[in-house]
Amino acid sequence: MTAIPLEHILILASILFLIGFVGVIVRKNALFILMSLEVMLNATGVAFIGAGSVWQQADGQVMFMLILTLAAAEVAVGLALLIRMKHQYRSLDIDVLSDLKGQ
Amino acid sequence: MSLNTWLLLTPQLLVALGVVCCLLLISWQRSQQIIAWFTLMVLLVTIVATVSLVGQPAVHVTELLYVDSFSLVAFLWVLLAGFAAVYMSKAYLHSHLEVHDEFYLLLLLTVLGAGVLVASDHFASLFLGFELLSISLVGLTGYFRHQRHAIEVSFKYLILSASASSFMLLGIAFLYSQTGSLSFVQMQAESADNMIAQIGFLLFIAGIGFKLSLVPFHFWTPDVYQGSPTPVTFVLATISKSAMFIALAKCFYVEGFQTLIALPSIHHALSALAIISMIVGNCLALGQNNIKRILAFSSIAHMGYLMIVLLVHQQQAILLARQAVLFYLFAYLIANIAIFGVLVLIERERNVGNNIELSHWKGMFWYSPIKALVLIVALLSLIGIPLTAGFIGKFYLIILAANNALWPLLIALIVGSGIALGYYLPMIFQLFKKEVVTMSHMTTWRIRLWISVIFLLSIGVGILPDMIITPLLNF
Repeated sequence: MTAIPLEHILILASILFLIGFVGVIVRKNALFILMSLEVMLNATGVAFIGAGSVWQQADGQVMFMLILTLAAAEVAVGLALLIRMKHQYRSLDIDVLSDLKGQ
Repeated sequence: MSLNTWLLLTPQLLVALGVVCCLLLISWQRSQQIIAWFTLMVLLVTIVATVSLVGQPAVHVTELLYVDSFSLVAFLWVLLAGFAAVYMSKAYLHSHLEVHDEFYLLLLLTVLGAGVLVASDHFASLFLGFELLSISLVGLTGYFRHQRHAIEVSFKYLILSASASSFMLLGIAFLYSQTGSLSFVQMQAESADNMIAQIGFLLFIAGIGFKLSLVPFHFWTPDVYQGSPTPVTFVLATISKSAMFIALAKCFYVEGFQTLIALPSIHHALSALAIISMIVGNCLALGQNNIKRILAFSSIAHMGYLMIVLLVHQQQAILLARQAVLFYLFAYLIANIAIFGVLVLIERERNVGNNIELSHWKGMFWYSPIKALVLIVALLSLIGIPLTAGFIGKFYLIILAANNALWPLLIALIVGSGIALGYYLPMIFQLFKKEVVTMSHMTTWRIRLWISVIFLLSIGVGILPDMIITPLLNF
């Protein structure tokens, strides 16, 4: 079995990351924004595991564990906010949250 | 690990212990008074411990943390900010009926995150500190869920800090794939001349730039500042930014990163970031009416000024740069304590909620001169007028920029400070406008004590920097 070159892994991670980022920017629904954030975080996870396997170290995988933990914590907070938002505005459209504006 | 290693980690361990005890305390008895005093006590003990440790030889605590005097003093600033924040929250939370013990718990967690950040010497600990800080801040920004903007603010902060951390993580992953090490010190210099490593580095800076709200990444700042409860805005402005900046400085001054920064492309990118932050931050603040918004934009500009210290190269300059960072952050912290402290008081007196506008402190000099005086000193210190702490801080920056021939940055610093007069001075003028006010204002002895301490500190550090602060910064 031939090893997958590092560049390919990094390109895959970058593409996944971009998909997630575009999702965060373009989507109107708060739930989908949270999902896109997950895609971004997991893309970095792919990059870490790839890099770790190139260097034959466990560090990459350890970082992935930390990222998973973070993603769980962030989603927990995010979903709590989502419930409040649904409760208060009766909508998950992100545009209802644009009261604050400057002069 | 030897006993000495543990000893140097005491401040962080004390805060962590405080968090656990707070949780136990909440399950034992829910009382706002008890928990507020308990948090104050934890912070006070930690401050004493930190002060007594400054000057100890630097030690690696496992591979993850590196505790030296630089990070200890930085943590001291964070703790002082935390102390002030708890004090402000005591005044702020008083007016609400619920028992708010979680608020203090989240505040302590923020301080702990900042403590991990300032001591970090490894990307994993940097990341952990970063997240501990941001997630607890998301909780704090939206804490008063019945206030009008609570959900909007914390949602904005959550999304932006999550994207910031994923940018940072992707950058770290790219760097790691080229250097093979997540530790700062083991970064190899020869891998710097590599496309992927450079892209990774820029992504990393972008992620941190979100947190420091440097200009292309600053969009969340004014909204979140305006909509958060005032003590939380204070935490955002001081604890979060200083800790992030210190962590950034720690990794920039390592040899491997120095070769990366010396590359022309990276150097130009960083200078551009600093210059537009100074100019745009100051320009956007002009013509704003909401005080917290003005402070948000001014904090963008201040972080831009401070970026100067990251761009120095010679080993000798780095020593001075470290002092400069700590001094500047201290001056900034004192000024912010003064302004936000007074804002909390005004909010309580006038019952205006979160939206304090310039007109709310119109004529304050005539009915409450001490508060007005401390505000004036704080604003002058933010401008950088001589005899205030801010002047010495800016002086450090100018020396550094001149010694290292960073001319474009120096010009931007001066132009930016000029523009800044355009919004700081009107804020001071408002204090002197005549207005008939018929309302009560409280100045108890506690408030007076606080105000005079802050007042003396910001003037004293400006006149006699040698006596008060330099002993802490000689390492």
